[in-house]
Amino acid sequence: MLPKGTEKSKELIEAYSFISPLLLFILLFIFVPVVGTIVTSWFKATTFLSEKFIFFENYRLLFKDVNFWQSAQFTFLFILVSVPIELFLGILFALVLNCTIPLRGLLRVCVLIPWAIPAAISARIWELIYNYNYGLLNFLFMKLGIIPKPINWLGTSLGAFFSLIIADVWKTTSFVAIILLAGLQVIPEELYAQAQVDRADFLQRFYRVTLPLLKPAIIVVLLFRTIDALRVFDLIYVITSGGPGGTTTSLSLYAYKYFVGGDFGYGSALSVILFLIAFFMSIVYVKLAGFSKEIA
Amino acid sequence: MKEERKKIILILLISIFMLSFCLLPVIYMVIISLSKNPDFLSAEKTLRFTLKNYFDVLSVRSLHFTDYLKNSIAVSTISAALSVFIAALAAYSITRLNLPGKVILLFFVLVVSMFPQISLVGWLFKLMAELGWINTYPALILPYIGWILPLSLWILVSYFSQLPKELDKQALIDGCSRWQILFKVLFPVALPGLFSTFLLAFIFAFNEFMFALMLTADHKARTIPVGIALFQGLHGEIPWGNIMSAATIATLPVIILTIVFQKRIVQGLTRGAVKG
Amino acid sequence: MRFFLFVLLGIFFLASCAKKEIKVLTFAVGGAPNEIDVWEKFVDEFEHNSGIKVNILRQPTDTDQRRQGLVIPLKARKSDPDIFLMDVAWIAQFAASGWLKPLDDYVKEDGIDARIFFSNVVNLADKYKGNLIALPVYVDGGLLYYRKDLLKKYGYTKSPSTWQELVDYCLRVQGDVRKYNPDFYGFVWQGAQYEGLVCNFLEFTGSNNGGIIFEDGKILLNLSENVEAARFMCDLIHKYKISPANTFTEMREEEVRIFFQQGNALFERNWPYAWALHQSDDSGVKDKVGIAPLPHFRSGKSIATLGGWHIGISRYSDAKKESWEFVKFVISYETQKNLTLKLGWNPARKEIYQDKEVIKKIPHFVDLRTIFENTYPRPNLPYYTQISEVLQRSLNAILAGKLSAGVALKKAEEEIQNVTQRYREE
Repeated sequence: MLPKGTEKSKELIEAYSFISPLLLFILLFIFVPVVGTIVTSWFKATTFLSEKFIFFENYRLLFKDVNFWQSAQFTFLFILVSVPIELFLGILFALVLNCTIPLRGLLRVCVLIPWAIPAAISARIWELIYNYNYGLLNFLFMKLGIIPKPINWLGTSLGAFFSLIIADVWKTTSFVAIILLAGLQVIPEELYAQAQVDRADFLQRFYRVTLPLLKPAIIVVLLFRTIDALRVFDLIYVITSGGPGGTTTSLSLYAYKYFVGGDFGYGSALSVILFLIAFFMSIVYVKLAGFSKEIA
Repeated sequence: MKEERKKIILILLISIFMLSFCLLPVIYMVIISLSKNPDFLSAEKTLRFTLKNYFDVLSVRSLHFTDYLKNSIAVSTISAALSVFIAALAAYSITRLNLPGKVILLFFVLVVSMFPQISLVGWLFKLMAELGWINTYPALILPYIGWILPLSLWILVSYFSQLPKELDKQALIDGCSRWQILFKVLFPVALPGLFSTFLLAFIFAFNEFMFALMLTADHKARTIPVGIALFQGLHGEIPWGNIMSAATIATLPVIILTIVFQKRIVQGLTRGAVKG
Repeated sequence: MRFFLFVLLGIFFLASCAKKEIKVLTFAVGGAPNEIDVWEKFVDEFEHNSGIKVNILRQPTDTDQRRQGLVIPLKARKSDPDIFLMDVAWIAQFAASGWLKPLDDYVKEDGIDARIFFSNVVNLADKYKGNLIALPVYVDGGLLYYRKDLLKKYGYTKSPSTWQELVDYCLRVQGDVRKYNPDFYGFVWQGAQYEGLVCNFLEFTGSNNGGIIFEDGKILLNLSENVEAARFMCDLIHKYKISPANTFTEMREEEVRIFFQQGNALFERNWPYAWALHQSDDSGVKDKVGIAPLPHFRSGKSIATLGGWHIGISRYSDAKKESWEFVKFVISYETQKNLTLKLGWNPARKEIYQDKEVIKKIPHFVDLRTIFENTYPRPNLPYYTQISEVLQRSLNAILAGKLSAGVALKKAEEEIQNVTQRYREE
């Protein structure tokens, strides 16, 4: 037996060596650009003006910018509405996919397809679905007699908002379902059997057995869905491009316009703010769920 | 028995909803890809069936679609495989070894992935241009690995933490090295998790647009999402048929992958394996 | 900020590629695959004649993505791309950023007379602070398409010259045609929240003696002429109901063109590109279309917003002389004529509109020339993008009925004032 101290330091070295490739990639390809972005946000970095260090001036302008607040509000609402729906449907789908039912394999493939279509294209599909003149939605609803004449789905702020939500839910529920499905499969059958003996019904079993064990997977899903919803871009860029009247401008779409217009400083400041929001939201999730205990 | 019947009906209803919800837009896409005009639902027009879009996409050289498909598959496979492997090593270290500050590390990895892509792409462009790698596979693969790693890591950490710890403790006592434990004990048990992570990582890379737009210049490295964006005309003329047939073909690799892995995902965790 | 890059490079220890021995020009151009094909043929021809190699950098046609593809390499001071096509709306930003090599010396040396181009285009769009920094390749301007057959049927001998006439025509024809085609509308134009909306707005306001006015370093927008024009745009949809409800959500160039081409509209505001498509075999309006200058308000005159593509040379190019050779090739009579014949592009050289071969193939080119002579560009400012953002949002809010024209333009003017303040040179 080796003395305890060496054993420990050996484990430490091993622990670091296992994690070093990950750190290398993250540092090089994510962290360096991130630091670059943060530094740029302290500059008046507009391509057509001389560059100047202005520290928090971009942020000060940003807090006075009504359009920033409007897009922040939109983005928040978007997360608040889309992520819970996706989580709910995702759990539902994952539970069904985990049952022993005929054609289960086929079902799983079908559920994954929406996620597999590139966002740039699925946005186009939804653009056509919502189309006023020859879209699928107006066609179906009119054939079914639900509406007498076509509706301009994207014409009101509310309509545009929910049109975007539905498109987003359609695309990302697959992602949620597949992660949760993988999580469900680690739950040993015995636990269910035990619950069966206890005469727990369907819902009780779900609350007492499934949900607690699924918690780590749910946290992952919540975190990544929230971050992704916060950055929502392609969908909005194609379907509404911010309209009507700028009411569906997401933060990342707003930032994008500044980058393209040459104002890298302001665009970077917007990105940093977006990051800060994501940061605090994830702290809340992790705290709420006590995730650190789960993995220790 | 009554509860059993209720359950079956419920499952059936949810399945029907699930299928129509997921597939209706996809079917719409496929129909457009097979029609001459995208506006076939308007009153004056009817659907005119054609396979020409598919022939065009696959055979017209200037569309370069087959090149894009090849690039996409190569880039996505390599980046997904590498990122899952790297993330699995790290997840093992985090869940099984006594790594100090593991929670902070997990958080750090997550946090840096929260920036919008547009703010990073300028920097990646500079880097790749300095290296002279613009328009090559590494220019895409390396950032993609970095970009997918946070997701892969978190999924695998949550997955590994659910696997019984006795598994590798026993192996450690039996005198296996860490690498042996990882490859012979943990990976086989964790296969479903690894495969679903690979699948998600693959799709992430397969769908990425912004990096691919800036870091590639032509069909030597361009991937499908950017390639399809190039179909548009100068005034925004959209060849719907071509785009939708390209999109339909582009989903095939993912469908094939899912079908292949689907069995593994189910088989991976038999009870026997858990008991080691 | 460059520090990080050096750190990175240090870590990499990778020998970067060997320097290019022969200079290869990179030419950034966007377009549908068939358009790129034509460019590739041009490039082959150029390579054959000059011995200079050119690579084509294919860009998406979406304006933001296309611009992003140029802004990022130029900001990084990369020598590629050497030559690129720019939307007329970006030129000021590119010029003010110092990315464009002034062309005055080259032009003088080669004795190229700028008067061969539309003089309004060159003078208003291609000059920055007295220097010539780009040359026009493709000229665009808004025009009115009308249904010849329907106007004749209802006894109108000419297309409407004022907006009020247009409304009158529409109300009468629309009411009648709807009896057999319930989807029929009088007038379609671009009202979605995007750059095209600003182009349309400038045509409405410009034809009412309004527009975006510069006065003592201030930008004026909230003028009674502009309010009247914006209110009229809103009325087209909500009061007269001669423009469909989705005008402000989906109506971009293509959506407008398809709507008209299905035979569902009497008038259409669009760019010249729609002509060839309207005349194609599967079009519902083949041989039933005429073109005319856009109408105007009673006190104003017809105006078209200038669009189109201009060619420029990067200041960071490592082969400027060769690049100029390529630019010269692109603006040459032969190439411009070929662009017209093969792609239907509207060339910037005036003589082509009199070329016999061209006119035989595209007879309406004679009319286009007068329209292009009356085009006006959008404000030639480096921060035009930011101003356009404000305009798009406010105008779209007016069309959606969210804000009244007066309120929205007043707010927009204040926002634009802030933008000007922020980007003013010190």
